[in-house]
Amino acid sequence: MLATDQVVALVGVGILLTALYLQAESFVAPLIPTIALQSLLLAVLLGWLAWTEHSVDLAVVAGVVVAIRGIGIPWVLRHQIKAFRWKVREIHAAHRVTGHALAAVALAVIAWFVFEETLGPVFPSPAYALPFVLLVQGLLMLATRSNTLVQVIGYLEEENAIVYAAAILVGGFPLLVEIVVFLDVLGVVLVGVILSIQRDVTGTLEEGQEETLSG
Amino acid sequence: MTPSDPTVWLFLVLVAPAAGAVLALIPLPRVSEWSARLAALVTLAAALALLAIAPSEQWGSYLGIDQLSEVFLVMVAGIYTTSTWYSRRYLRAVSHPYLGVSTYYALLAAFAFAMVATLVVSDLGLMWIGLEATTIASALLVVLERKPTSVEAAWRYTIIASAGLTIALFALILLYGATGTLNIFRLAENPPALSLPIQMAIALALVGYGTKVGLFPMHTWLPDAHSEAPSPVSAMFSGVLLPTALYAFVRVYRILPSPPVALSDLVLGFGVATALVAAFLLQRQRSFKRLLAYSSMEVMGLAVIGIAIGGVALYGALILLVAHAFAKSAAFYCAGNVLQETGTTRIEDVRNLGSRAPWTGAAWVLAAFGVTGAPPFGTFLGELLIVTGALATGNVLLAAAIVTAIAVAFLGVNSQIGRMVFGGGSFENPSSTGHRLSERGISVAYLNVGIALALGVVSLPYLTEAIRAAATLLGGSVP
Repeated sequence: MLATDQVVALVGVGILLTALYLQAESFVAPLIPTIALQSLLLAVLLGWLAWTEHSVDLAVVAGVVVAIRGIGIPWVLRHQIKAFRWKVREIHAAHRVTGHALAAVALAVIAWFVFEETLGPVFPSPAYALPFVLLVQGLLMLATRSNTLVQVIGYLEEENAIVYAAAILVGGFPLLVEIVVFLDVLGVVLVGVILSIQRDVTGTLEEGQEETLSG
Repeated sequence: MTPSDPTVWLFLVLVAPAAGAVLALIPLPRVSEWSARLAALVTLAAALALLAIAPSEQWGSYLGIDQLSEVFLVMVAGIYTTSTWYSRRYLRAVSHPYLGVSTYYALLAAFAFAMVATLVVSDLGLMWIGLEATTIASALLVVLERKPTSVEAAWRYTIIASAGLTIALFALILLYGATGTLNIFRLAENPPALSLPIQMAIALALVGYGTKVGLFPMHTWLPDAHSEAPSPVSAMFSGVLLPTALYAFVRVYRILPSPPVALSDLVLGFGVATALVAAFLLQRQRSFKRLLAYSSMEVMGLAVIGIAIGGVALYGALILLVAHAFAKSAAFYCAGNVLQETGTTRIEDVRNLGSRAPWTGAAWVLAAFGVTGAPPFGTFLGELLIVTGALATGNVLLAAAIVTAIAVAFLGVNSQIGRMVFGGGSFENPSSTGHRLSERGISVAYLNVGIALALGVVSLPYLTEAIRAAATLLGGSVP
């Protein structure tokens, strides 16, 4: 029988690897199954915690993560790619894949170090720093990528970091189910509504292809 | 239930904008418009009633108000009401809008509801949900005018503000782990001991909520969204959305009765950097709406400085926020009239407003004085108190930085608006001397400028007292 700390560490390594792969890939299509895989790994962890701690809330959250982030939003993203077939590779990122990958690794190390220095004494295992590392990876993706679909994936990664943190750092959180559902509604709004408007009005998903927003 | 029962007014302040959002969906433009107006008026009446009869009240574990939330409620309800009134004039002149009239008013009411909900909940988790809901409700309003630039601005706003708010949520998770509760009244009764997780939570909340407040360097969404949104929505963004996000941060920051120096210095650093960067960046703006957006950012920086310093500066920050909300919304209504009548937001292309649209021009000059802290506006009083508070700390460099930001922003905003109102047409832009412009809808700008002015010269019934009480509640002092 695995101990909870072992499961947290094992799944954490898997999630970290998906996060690093997301940074280093310039094609949009492979990012979609990767973020779905990350969400499913998170759901496995949530399911394990729900079972061992007899938490209905965590079980519901695991179900929501599978349904919306593991299946629903990736399905919508795949359809968006079909609508923008000529934009399946992010032009800017393609020239900077090595730099992105190195920055992602460096930032992961820094985030882990900051967490251990500030909160390490409070938490029993180094694996508990991983939600913070994942949060920083999501931010890096948002900051460095210009393709809207990739930014949505960065945002989903941040959402995963929040659920991950709520589950392992504090063993559940008031209103967790409501917040997760709310975050996913926002995710669907982002993907479904704004991307559609963007497609209708501008015909592009990459920033910098449009009129500049300046004084 | 009687009119003196705060529960009635709490119910109304929450239900009115929600009902307005639902009723506005009726696909008859006049019905939508009047539903929104009526909902806004009821929201304002309820906010004023709460201010008058209930200094502090809690309803169960999730709802509760005190003087701080009441002051912000009046701001939100006030600007929501005037923006709803101004919207009719604005919508008439938008050709090929992306949203129908009904959808626009429904989203405007939903936006107001989300802000009101943020202010009347006593649980930090629900407060976070309310603030995130403002993003969902308002993002679509930005694309009303169907321009590629507005779509890009809406996207940036949504993704950057939401990313910031996820950091704030991470902060709340750490806070809950350290305290076991997110109820602001329980946290006020039993303040947590200073610990690393709490300091980390407050620092992350500063970055997270600070993104939505528009603090440097997380401000990048702000000038785009403010300049691309329709003017009534820009007024709500600048006037009340940014302060509502700041309110959420203050609730987290003030769980420690006396924050450690390192933490208050961090907050101070963000405030000073924001005020200075915004003051200098606004000098370079070519669009009058972006000019106003950077001015809002500068004021948020000053308010954050006041909150970090505490004492009279905290009281000054609250006066500044309230007076700025009314003055800046007035400035955006004027900007809306000018944009629709001239078809441009370029400062260089707008001249001679003083004779082409004298009422709009005069209101714009007054509003510009109001937002930049000219005496005797409430903003002047607020800024004076912040500088006084800075001097009281003995930190002359800090006081000098604040005065520099105020002076640079004052010159930048007033010189640019002065050129548009009093400057003659140029040889390159002969059209800028053109025909007389329509001034419909400008009366609400005068109303709001009047409130911003009154805050500086008289004691407004209930409101001034509530601002003083709110400052004391947060540990500030009142002169």
